[in-house]
Amino acid sequence: MDVTLTIDNREVTVPAGTLIVEAARRIGIEIPVFCYHPKMLPVGMCRMCLVTVGLPVVNRETGRPEVDAAGQRVIRWLPKPVTACTEPVSEGMVVITDSAQVAADRKGILEFLLTSHPLDCPICDKGGECPLQDLTYRHSPGVSRFDIASKYHAAKAYPLGDLIVLDRERCILCARCTRFQQEIADDPVLAIENRGRDAMIVSYSEPAFNSHYSGNTTDICPVGALTTRDFRFHARPWELEHTASVCNHCGVGCNIVLDTRLGRIVRVMPRQNELVNEVWICDKGRFAHHFHASSQRLTVPLMRQGGRMVEVSWDEALQHVATRLRAICEQHGAEAIGGIAGARLPNEDLYLFQKLLRQVIGTPNVDYRVGLSAGFEDDIVAEVGVACGTDLGRVGCGTAILVLGSDLDEEAPILYLRVAGAARHGATLINAGGRATKLDQRATHVLRYRYGSATHLVLGLLHVVLHETNEQGRALTGNEIVPGRVRGLAELRAHVSEWTPERVATISGVPAEAIRAAAHAFAAAQNGIIIYGGEAGNHPALRRAIANLAIVTGFVGRPNNGVIAVLAHANSRGAEDLGIVPHRLPGYAPAERHGLNATEMVQGGVRALLVAGADPFAISARQVNLEFLVVQELFMSATAQQADVVLPAVAPGERSGSYTNLERRVQYFHPALLPPGMARPDWSILRHLAVLLGAGGWDYATPAAVFEEMARTIPLYANMSYERLTQPVEISRHMAHYIYAGMSYQSEAYEGLQWPTLAEQAMHTFVLEWQAPPPDPPTRGVVLVAPRVLYDGGTLLGQTQLLASHVVTSHVAVSPQDAAVWGLADGQRVRVAVCAREIALPCRVNPALPTGVIAIPRNLANNVAEMLLGEGQLFSPAGLIVEKQQGS
Amino acid sequence: MTSQAFYEELQGVLKKYPVKQSAVLEALYILQRDKNYLSDEDIHTAAEALEMTVTEVQAIVGFYSLFRRQPTGKYLIQVCTDLPCALRGADAFYRRLCERLGLPPEGGTTADGLFTVEEVVCLAACDRAPVAQINLQYFEHLTDQAMDAVIARLREQG
Repeated sequence: MDVTLTIDNREVTVPAGTLIVEAARRIGIEIPVFCYHPKMLPVGMCRMCLVTVGLPVVNRETGRPEVDAAGQRVIRWLPKPVTACTEPVSEGMVVITDSAQVAADRKGILEFLLTSHPLDCPICDKGGECPLQDLTYRHSPGVSRFDIASKYHAAKAYPLGDLIVLDRERCILCARCTRFQQEIADDPVLAIENRGRDAMIVSYSEPAFNSHYSGNTTDICPVGALTTRDFRFHARPWELEHTASVCNHCGVGCNIVLDTRLGRIVRVMPRQNELVNEVWICDKGRFAHHFHASSQRLTVPLMRQGGRMVEVSWDEALQHVATRLRAICEQHGAEAIGGIAGARLPNEDLYLFQKLLRQVIGTPNVDYRVGLSAGFEDDIVAEVGVACGTDLGRVGCGTAILVLGSDLDEEAPILYLRVAGAARHGATLINAGGRATKLDQRATHVLRYRYGSATHLVLGLLHVVLHETNEQGRALTGNEIVPGRVRGLAELRAHVSEWTPERVATISGVPAEAIRAAAHAFAAAQNGIIIYGGEAGNHPALRRAIANLAIVTGFVGRPNNGVIAVLAHANSRGAEDLGIVPHRLPGYAPAERHGLNATEMVQGGVRALLVAGADPFAISARQVNLEFLVVQELFMSATAQQADVVLPAVAPGERSGSYTNLERRVQYFHPALLPPGMARPDWSILRHLAVLLGAGGWDYATPAAVFEEMARTIPLYANMSYERLTQPVEISRHMAHYIYAGMSYQSEAYEGLQWPTLAEQAMHTFVLEWQAPPPDPPTRGVVLVAPRVLYDGGTLLGQTQLLASHVVTSHVAVSPQDAAVWGLADGQRVRVAVCAREIALPCRVNPALPTGVIAIPRNLANNVAEMLLGEGQLFSPAGLIVEKQQGS
Repeated sequence: MTSQAFYEELQGVLKKYPVKQSAVLEALYILQRDKNYLSDEDIHTAAEALEMTVTEVQAIVGFYSLFRRQPTGKYLIQVCTDLPCALRGADAFYRRLCERLGLPPEGGTTADGLFTVEEVVCLAACDRAPVAQINLQYFEHLTDQAMDAVIARLREQG
């Protein structure tokens, strides 16, 4: 229902429940605020938004507004000023924001705030983009009546954590930071302690300010109280150049701004994209940019000569590569050559990579699944992915989200915020996993399954959906598409009939009633989203079961419905889309000729290997048994050290390109920096190589030309162009104070473009194939799981000294119950052995683990988990030996 | 109090509240009751028992001045010395009280751990000053002799 009110003599109609401050913003009237933030609940703490409010007098007998002799409505003015940020509008309300009274109120509030605020703007990081500074210029009396000598003094550089510094004098106690941590981040580790003049922001968590989202508090801080260690005193805001970019640290694809000064990144800020990251980024995205400026970067092509790596020219290096590849090809055939590309490479580079191998060299051996990308892939999203227009930031009541085998807070932090936000707004949230994760606190249903039984659990859910009815006696299947567009329903119903919740309960350890309740709650929603990750396992039957569940519940082909796979890297989705796998061509077309996968290639399946942005020999700890190895890299990785030719590549901030995120959103990023030394973009290296190998038509001058070809040849990317990806979107950002606490930059907001799933085609028919689940996992013994952590031992992250203490060190996490049985305490060494491989690591007792599960995070220094489990294994088979190491 | 005794008492308290966290004030009151202050360990105990962060619990403790974070005597003697009370001699009364208890003029805790004396702002009894609040009880219209008698009585009680 809409409500019409008058603000400064202008009428405005807004939905009921809108706050005065937002209604005013609608018609371009800015009411100054400090504590109010549109992403958080209003509190009315700072009093800056005081306005005069009048309400129409209503005749009690007639229920009609009273009018005076002149026919004007009679207004009863509220006796005191009202906070516009907490007051919802009402019909006929009259608001005055530009009177002498309101100006006096603002003066008074600012004079009061400034009694405790230092006058150190000239050395304050916020100076120049500070709401307090701006609003003081605009609204304050200019001269204070208070004695400067009696100004309040407090700690100037209090470390709130090791990333964030608090200036207690500058803090105006608006509680934006504490509310962000509590409401949005779900890490209530900041609070206001004490009262009155003694009130201060504190954190007592261990370690202090323990949150993956802490940097956001510095963005929304309306004064210079919270600053990051990274940016503190490094530049003045007006000296910065702002470049629109996309974060390359995980698959969420957060929109960011690279703020550079004198050719270096001095800070990374979030860039608003309400469909991806809203206005937030995680601390990894914010701080782990230092790899760009690392002194360890490769800057010159290197070639192995007489056992040593020597610097050579690009011509020499590329000629050598072409000559050797041609020779191997002639002697052993094209299939003796293979290529492994990392899923951090942009789309353009990945597209050319597979094109070079498949079309120029003529080999089907292409893969991206090494490192974190090994052991988890997705091929169902092309059919049943979340439909175009999905916005997790706006779903709530009526939507059900099933998270299966993913620890979002670690794997895709901003996705965590959005899923938790959906639950906060009333969405049904089913968190199914093998261990407790942070998302449990927001979940309406928590299903704790035995590792290895996720497929069985989904079959149990399918059983309920296909064999039970709701309280009204109606089927649980989605009636939009079932049965009209679905084939194989009867067969699937027959197949899952034996997977009763009771049977699944004995296999998975999830109580039958919990399975039933979750299935009913999921199917009852109007919209359903399934988010699945690596800890659910990598079995084709799992993916099939998930797709079947989405289809039979009707949660496909509509906005806010479908599946998201939490793949590891910034462009893992792009790698799947572009066929960087040996069995598929770009656009999910099956390959006629299946090539070797990454494991087979590095185990000696090929004689020559091209590696771009990947480190396959870091993890496999295998002997490099290749005639010829070429590596395109930023750093001298373990693989590069073994290479015959090492070609220096450029980092994302030094080039343009596009990534495709977890929700299939293709997003363009601009170059912000010059590449170091002679480094070249990967696509350009590949282009030169193709030309030297005699390919015709490889005359791409820019990534845009490559993208044009992709759009022309791959149906998924049809209708896409850089121009369309960077279409400016109408986001009411002209009053930046509301959202960004005075961020000075004027960077463009784009939303990118999603490619449509098959389910969105009205003619698409869904085939419910049946695939039998993997064998039941053992119900006894100990399971070793290798979860992903945000701060792992990755090369790029390792270049950021600031985050060094956050990087997870190798350890074995053990549940308190098991620790008691094995006589273990924190720090004691544990011996873990599986299949003749063994390792001894310090123990960490972790109450999030269930009994019988131990965890060693993936991708840590020395790759301990990968050594024990094998690269693509995320949890162990049976036969694990765990014991306290003697003498510890 | 032992942590087991605390948990047992807390179980009864939790029944009164729809969510655990709502019981935080009462939990803290129980933890402080016997020794008149909350140790770091108490804060952690409350946080763990109520599934809150230590920061959240500490913020609540900091807000309410009746929660104390420093070791405190068995009897906490608070004397208001703000302007109206001072006009009735409360400030001089306070200094003399400290002197007789062998404490520095700003107050503190006696060596036997029996008394903690501190100045406070307003006990809402200006018209009956000098006034002291000893734990939860008010003593009004105080003189040195009257105060000595109270202290002697408390010493006897131990």
